[in-house]
Amino acid sequence: MECTSKQQMKTLIAVSIIALVALALIPQIVHAQLAQQTSAKQYINLRAEVWNEFFRMTTAAFTVGAIVSGTMIWLVWRFRESNPKNKAPTKWEHMDDPTAGSYEEEGH
Amino acid sequence: MVLELQKPRPVWQIMFSTHHTDVGYLYLVFGITFLFMGGVLAMIIRTHLFFPGQGVLVSDSATFNRIFTVHGLTMLFLFALPVANGIGNILVPIMVRYKDMAYPKLNAIAFWMNPVGAALLWLGFADTTWVSYAPYSIIRAPGPAADMFIFGMKILGISSILSSINFVVTIVKCKHPDLPLRRVPLFAWSMLTVSLMTIVAMPTYASALIMMLTDRLGLSGFFNPFAGGDPIAYLHLFWFTFHPEVYIFLLPAIGMMYEIIPRFSRKPLYSQASGVFAFVMLGIIGFASWGHHMYSTGMDFTTKVVFMIGTLAAVPASGMHVFNFLATMWGGRIRFAAPMKFAVGGIALFFSAGAGGVLNSAMPLDFISHGTYWVVGHMHLFLIGTIGFGFVGMIYYMFPYVTGRMYSEKWASAHFVLMFWGTVQTFFTQHLLGLEGMPRRVYDYPTEFTSWTQLNQISTIGAWMIGASFAIFLASLIYYSAKGKEANMDDPWGIGGKYYYPVAAKNPHGGHSGY
Repeated sequence: MECTSKQQMKTLIAVSIIALVALALIPQIVHAQLAQQTSAKQYINLRAEVWNEFFRMTTAAFTVGAIVSGTMIWLVWRFRESNPKNKAPTKWEHMDDPTAGSYEEEGH
Repeated sequence: MVLELQKPRPVWQIMFSTHHTDVGYLYLVFGITFLFMGGVLAMIIRTHLFFPGQGVLVSDSATFNRIFTVHGLTMLFLFALPVANGIGNILVPIMVRYKDMAYPKLNAIAFWMNPVGAALLWLGFADTTWVSYAPYSIIRAPGPAADMFIFGMKILGISSILSSINFVVTIVKCKHPDLPLRRVPLFAWSMLTVSLMTIVAMPTYASALIMMLTDRLGLSGFFNPFAGGDPIAYLHLFWFTFHPEVYIFLLPAIGMMYEIIPRFSRKPLYSQASGVFAFVMLGIIGFASWGHHMYSTGMDFTTKVVFMIGTLAAVPASGMHVFNFLATMWGGRIRFAAPMKFAVGGIALFFSAGAGGVLNSAMPLDFISHGTYWVVGHMHLFLIGTIGFGFVGMIYYMFPYVTGRMYSEKWASAHFVLMFWGTVQTFFTQHLLGLEGMPRRVYDYPTEFTSWTQLNQISTIGAWMIGASFAIFLASLIYYSAKGKEANMDDPWGIGGKYYYPVAAKNPHGGHSGY
């Protein structure tokens, strides 16, 4: 059944409120639990773990970054209209509006 | 045709109009004017910092503080928000197939509050920084400048809320019954998301402004430590509004890229659903990360970790936009006209700025970079690199529809090259300055620190390149709107297809074939 936009809007607002409430509550619950059991030594260990996590994240971020940036540069070079390999019109160009719709609507 | 200015009208007809395109033009002219005014202040700041110890352009630190305060306020509230609202006013009713905004008079009133707010900010010329840190802003900041700042921001905030209500009602209630919300174009979705965020975020700052005013008047002491108040409380209220506001500035630019990239790639958008999902996610996550601006204020460890995770949660949603853009370009036949150049440049810089944001959000590094030029570089890379490029690309995209004439592709290319190179040179260098330890918001720096001098000079030369690029932009806008070649209004760039959104306005029966 096709949802009406009113229903979608209600769902959107409900999901947003639930997410905001969760975001507001989770830190307090976690904090209350950790505050009871964290000693000075554990606190320092936690800091070391955060640094460790940071370096892991940085490695992941820069790896993904290099791949995405490289892909973008290749895309710009490969799919520019002046590229000899790219002379033929795309299959969407015969349409009044080649950008109408999206892949999802075409069943991809 | 609705969008053209081919038949000149008296200015007063546009000024007193409540039609959405006229109000959109007013927003655009207002925003672009203040872009150049704020830009002049930026050039003064950077030129002043070229030589240490010289006082080249600004003779005292108080004036310098006023200049960078008004520069920040101008670029954020008098350029970024009005231009997004302007383009939103012009395109959103067309995209949702409605005759106008839901409340046309309210729309015009919301616009006309902007010049009043702008006058208060510029005539006051406050020195509080755009953050308006307590307790300085309530105890020492000289009046009437700081009071004019409070009233100016208040008026601009009310204007934002009114226009946001208008966008939400227009998109949700006035869209054509045959158009499901999930099929509404992504630029309109970006405006819907930022409007909902504004309605949630802005009242908090409005309250903080009232508290600040009563503190200044001596009636209360909310943020005044001498009266038992807490200055950090102001920061919480401020950043609860203004971290989401970062997304409020950013998302319309992403929405504009969604309009440009499929058009110039000559193929459909890869995924409407992921675009919608990413906008909604960013709209929610935007409220989960304000604490990362305040790691160094004595916040406890667990809270910092939570805000760190909340900040990093924005990465997947931002990544969805980037991958959507790349997948849309894949397999297309891309025409690199000016709008596409700026959109692709904007994606690259969005990605770079995002990478810096990941590092910023990690609290160990944040302690090193906090309050340094790293933050200046990061913030400006987002503001100019993504928002600036998105907006400028969209202005080139709208140019033929608004003026009926074409801009010069050659001069637009020169604008792009100078702006892209200048942005990289200025703001990547500022990241390095931050790592070298140079604090932000300083009037001068010691001549003994040669690396600071060198990096400042490299950054300033980049800023001059950005300034030159915008001089070209201004000259092009003026010259080609009067003398440019007449545009083919069905297909200004010769890339095929007939029905662009702006042109769809004159095809009530043809419309946008996909919708």
